[in-house]
Amino acid sequence: MAIDKVLVANRGEIAVRVIRACREMDLSTVAVYSECDRAALHVRYADEAYAIGPNAPQDSYLRIDRIVDAALRAGADAVHPGYGFLAENENFAAAVVDAGLTFIGPTPRAVALMGSKTAARAAAARAGLAVVPGTETALAAAASGAEMAHVAASIGYPLLVKAVAGGGGKGMRTVNDPADLAGAVRAARSEAGTAFGDPAVYLERRLTRPRHIEVQLLADEHGTVVPFVERECSIQRRHQKVVEETPSGAVPAALRQKLAAQAASVAREVGYTNAGTVEFLLDEDGRSYFLEMNTRLQVEHAITEMVTGVDLVRWQIRIARGERLDLDAGRMLSPAGHAIECRIYAEDPDNGFQPSPGTIDQLRAASGPGIRDDSGATAGLDVPIFYDPLISKLIAWAEDRPLAMARMRRALREYRVGGIKTTLPLFTWLLAQPDFLAGRFHTSYLDEVVAGREGRPFVEPPAALEEIAAMSVALQTVLTPAAARDVGLGTRRWKAQARTESLRGEIMGSRGA
Amino acid sequence: MRFEVEIGGRVRQVNLQRANGRFTATVDGRERRVDAVRVDAHIWSLLVEHESGRSIFSYEVSIIPEPAADRFAAHVGPVPVTVCLDGRRRWGRKAQSGQPTVGPQRVVAPMSGKVVRILVQIGEAVHARQPIVVIEAMKMENELRATHDGTVAEIRVRDGQSVDAGALLVVMV
Repeated sequence: MAIDKVLVANRGEIAVRVIRACREMDLSTVAVYSECDRAALHVRYADEAYAIGPNAPQDSYLRIDRIVDAALRAGADAVHPGYGFLAENENFAAAVVDAGLTFIGPTPRAVALMGSKTAARAAAARAGLAVVPGTETALAAAASGAEMAHVAASIGYPLLVKAVAGGGGKGMRTVNDPADLAGAVRAARSEAGTAFGDPAVYLERRLTRPRHIEVQLLADEHGTVVPFVERECSIQRRHQKVVEETPSGAVPAALRQKLAAQAASVAREVGYTNAGTVEFLLDEDGRSYFLEMNTRLQVEHAITEMVTGVDLVRWQIRIARGERLDLDAGRMLSPAGHAIECRIYAEDPDNGFQPSPGTIDQLRAASGPGIRDDSGATAGLDVPIFYDPLISKLIAWAEDRPLAMARMRRALREYRVGGIKTTLPLFTWLLAQPDFLAGRFHTSYLDEVVAGREGRPFVEPPAALEEIAAMSVALQTVLTPAAARDVGLGTRRWKAQARTESLRGEIMGSRGA
Repeated sequence: MRFEVEIGGRVRQVNLQRANGRFTATVDGRERRVDAVRVDAHIWSLLVEHESGRSIFSYEVSIIPEPAADRFAAHVGPVPVTVCLDGRRRWGRKAQSGQPTVGPQRVVAPMSGKVVRILVQIGEAVHARQPIVVIEAMKMENELRATHDGTVAEIRVRDGQSVDAGALLVVMV
């Protein structure tokens, strides 16, 4: 199948990432955008751009009809879904195929099968993998509180309520106390309905202190499956990954081979094609359990690219064109060096991680040796409230883990975002924690240590820097009084004006001297 | 030029004197010579002499006014510092820890978003930590809970309504 023009059915950093790969392959690119994304970076980078509706996702980025219309109007021959939004929606994949276009991803059948967490667990069990204990089917919508409690008791607490169609930590709740079960099911159903259009949930045992380990794979349409070195994604906040690295310090060589083989067998079991990721939980005794399979490019795919030198998006497009995978499978399991990613979210870590939407007044990404910044944000843009608050993925690569950590610390010092709050201070703090640096953590580690801080700021300024900040603001007020007038109202403005007048005299005086 | 600058609840006295194109800055009695260059709309480069006059330290400072909150969001290098000029009060985070544990309570939206669900009715007795309203922002649902026992007196919003940060949602007595 020839592919010359690709519509990217997404926004933000991942739309930019896909457009970059297309550009490097001399493919034309088509962006789609909601009202608030009119001037977003992905629109500016694309060759063509089409409006697909108002800001709410269900009115734009989730509108299959409008996206397919845009693809046909632009004369695109393929659609890349990115991650999130419609990336794991089999109706979207099917609509793209039905319109005579190529879907850059797995078949609608594979998306549907693995998109159902319960069906995916069954497929993994058929492929011979251990799965986390839990319900085999979704909870009945009409199940009474007593029925739910009975099922929950048979699985055991603590447990997780998870969206059957879930992903990205949405539609998921931990339940420690049976009294909280009904509320958690209600919240998870509602969130799942909003995020995925399917409110069904199931129950799964929550393992104690597990690590989240996942295996990226590529599969072509000719039966070749290539698994990659594992990614360690245990640093999570409320089930959302915030830091990932590869390789994992908890995975010895024999386990790496085993997980890779298991991931490949799940892919073969369901006739999987294109890029996908098999997620595992690793318990404290080193036993691995199949968790789920993501039938899309992952947010954290870039760290795999850094240690293998493979462009996964480029391969997604090549596989969709029907090309054969010719990667050296052995080398894909032998990482060169170490890579780590910090997800920079527009959230205020010092204020309960509340979303911090607003205008980005200032943005300077880190750069230099071993640093990669995958971002969809620029200064002057608004971070809208309607979508995921990820503004950038900061990635550091180096020869080994300690050097990668040092490089990330250096990059965090360089990164500057003004106008909104971001999770940068969280990472500055995390990369100084002895347990993290020693690789001693699990999926609840971050939530536990954050709770233990009881709201103290992650980066507390030393007195010497407070003095520098104090003199800086005073200097700015003297040298550019307009800035001071922006802050302050009424009589304060009047006072600032008076100060400006007196300053003018002073400057005149010094000039005269 | 004298300023009172408040950082983290502490007021610092800053005095700036200009001489020969440079400044002498005195912060809480410590006097140092400063060379300040504005790089762009927000970034400053400061060269600050140690009191001994031997070492010169380099700081990159970014300053962004937050007019709504009446303060400046500064970064000294990567370190965020919130600064209020002339003793202006900062409010927000501090207010939450001082919530009363008896009497009327007001549930306000901590961020702009959409009211997904109101979980109480007027006249309903609620207990501490009971979820009152579910609000959605950036695709996450957040439960707003009662801080202490009370009775619902007013509901100011309805399901599905979009609200701004700080909007009053429910009043309990």
